[in-house]
Amino acid sequence: MGLVKDTYTLFLREMLIFKKNYMSSILRSIMFPLIFILLLGSFGSTPKNVPIAVVNYDNGARALAFINLLQSGNGVQVVSSTTQQQAMTLLAQGTVAAVVVIPSGFSQAQETASSLYVYLDNSQPQSAEVASATVDSAADELGLTTSTSSVAGGLSKQGIISVITNYAYGASSNYLSFVIGGLLVMVASFGAVFSAGFTMLSDRDLGNMKAFLTTPINKFSILLGKIAYGTFQSAFSAYVGLAIGLLYGATIAAGLVGLIELIWIILLVGLGFSSMAIAIAAKLKQIQTYGLVAQTVVMPLAFLGGAFVPATLLPSFLLPIVAVNPETYAVNAVRDIMIKGSLPVATLLTTSIILGVFTIAMMSLALYFFSDTSKQI
Amino acid sequence: MSENAIEIHDLVKKFGTLTAVNHVSFNIKKGEIFGLLGPNGAGKTTTINILLGLLQPTSGKVIVEGIDMQKNPVLAKGKVGIVTQETVVEPELTAEQNLMIFGRLYQIPSSELKEDIDFALDLADLKEFRNKLAGTFSGGMKRRLETAKALMHAPELLLLDEPTTGLDIQNRTRIWSLLRDINKKHNVTILLTTQYLEEADQLCNRIGIVDHGKLIALGTPTELRQKIGMSNVIEVSADKDNLQKVAAVFKKVDLEPQVLTNKVIAPTGSNAVGKVEALIKAITAAKVPISNISMHEPTIDDVFLKLTGSGARDTTGEYQGSARTALWRGRR
Repeated sequence: MGLVKDTYTLFLREMLIFKKNYMSSILRSIMFPLIFILLLGSFGSTPKNVPIAVVNYDNGARALAFINLLQSGNGVQVVSSTTQQQAMTLLAQGTVAAVVVIPSGFSQAQETASSLYVYLDNSQPQSAEVASATVDSAADELGLTTSTSSVAGGLSKQGIISVITNYAYGASSNYLSFVIGGLLVMVASFGAVFSAGFTMLSDRDLGNMKAFLTTPINKFSILLGKIAYGTFQSAFSAYVGLAIGLLYGATIAAGLVGLIELIWIILLVGLGFSSMAIAIAAKLKQIQTYGLVAQTVVMPLAFLGGAFVPATLLPSFLLPIVAVNPETYAVNAVRDIMIKGSLPVATLLTTSIILGVFTIAMMSLALYFFSDTSKQI
Repeated sequence: MSENAIEIHDLVKKFGTLTAVNHVSFNIKKGEIFGLLGPNGAGKTTTINILLGLLQPTSGKVIVEGIDMQKNPVLAKGKVGIVTQETVVEPELTAEQNLMIFGRLYQIPSSELKEDIDFALDLADLKEFRNKLAGTFSGGMKRRLETAKALMHAPELLLLDEPTTGLDIQNRTRIWSLLRDINKKHNVTILLTTQYLEEADQLCNRIGIVDHGKLIALGTPTELRQKIGMSNVIEVSADKDNLQKVAAVFKKVDLEPQVLTNKVIAPTGSNAVGKVEALIKAITAAKVPISNISMHEPTIDDVFLKLTGSGARDTTGEYQGSARTALWRGRR
């Protein structure tokens, strides 16, 4: 069939150029996910050995047992303070992420009457969370009931005894897997936008588009060739990103089947967003405008798709966008695979259909914008 | 089968308020080398783009090799080879790869592709550069590669949009002989646009002159020369304030002056040397300060002056500028 052959020819052309510049092409494909994952992955990962100050006014057996429990894991590192005032100074300086005050009589008191005072540095949310969780689990182990309250008119950073253990994805998840799941989808969408659209616009600037249009081919094959190349580039970047993420400590809870499902979903994301990139490029005239428009479309979609924070935490007026954003479904599917451990066949099918519909819609839009060839020469 | 390679019927193309092609009709016979002459913005490229099916005409139609371009563009495009104004070779690919990609797009069967690439490389005299990147080629080599690319699928008609603009004289002559060659040996009809009268003169069987979207003259080079007169052109440059005085002196020695922005020109008619001599004497006698006096063969400018009438030149430059802007706006 002519369309397939011509599409292949135009894809082949892009690949020959890719191969000719293989060093820079591959470097570009690697740099993008590498920097994203190293930066954003570390940014959000769970900290270890968080310094906390413990003021022990009790010195009883239970107090010592409690401190031992705190030190047993590698979540926190205990710094002893003699007075609460001294500890609070350390907290204010940011030297410690939390202060735990064990009041005198802690060991003798009835269980119900026991109170631990915990002050958390909210400006270091991740560290504070680790500290808080460690204190909670130690308190749990001692059989203490914990409750959350706050002190009115106190230091802004204070909270008193707390259980804030509220992981979105349960205790077994790690933030790295969460972030990398989102990043893979984001890398795929960005990779598509920054390869396919740009080559289309530069081809038009250089007159290549005119040359293609004067050949006896179906115009659609020009678009499909570009989309194929964009898909290749974006999927390549995202697969590199996946490899880097796995080396960096992310895990795929769903195992080998999950890996195959991931590869499939990323490919679909690349296809859909390449089609979108080509639609934008077919409409716009200047490379600069394209860069701007593509950014303003693809960046919010990544955020609203829940690449960094779960989409459920977004304000309600954004939820309609979340609902129609194909990235939302892709990110959810990837997180199911990487964190929850399995992706039901029905969900995989729904996700595939949503991404497929998105692709077809964008291809149609691209073809519509491309139909007036006088704008393409 | 029609004996015309191209038939243009009452073609009109408007971009907004600008009429780039204004009721143009002409035919190009099979086997001809036809030159479309005109200044920038005259409507040459627009005409070519319509012939290529890249633009839809506002009204009228074009028949290429007996096929209506609007009705059956894919079939018609297969019969045409095109060398565009911008040299379009992919700098990141080798000469062979460039040809291979376009050979495939022109639907050459893969069994014949290698042979056709060899033929094209041979034709363009680029055999030893087969595996060199096109980006390393000189302007002339790129243009030859592009021409060969346009011929690979053995088209019946070759369109060239200003094929020699920006090339040095060696490369220009080389392109000319290449075009003559393919016209004679392979019986390819050629339509080229050019700004150079000399090029059209050397190469073309027939010439059409367009300006402001209209076809203002059509004929063989000899016919056109007769139309504008074979005479040389005398040209006197002077300060703006003195141009009218210079024109008055021209009239004294029976020359028909045309006043441009910074010079006065006139066809010499026969006895060119005598006329120059008389003019110099008259200028000296009238004591009009001038900065330069020269005589040259008629250029495209002179043809236009003759064909569009005196005084037109003064405003044409400006009109062209604004016309091009309008054209540009119309397209974007």
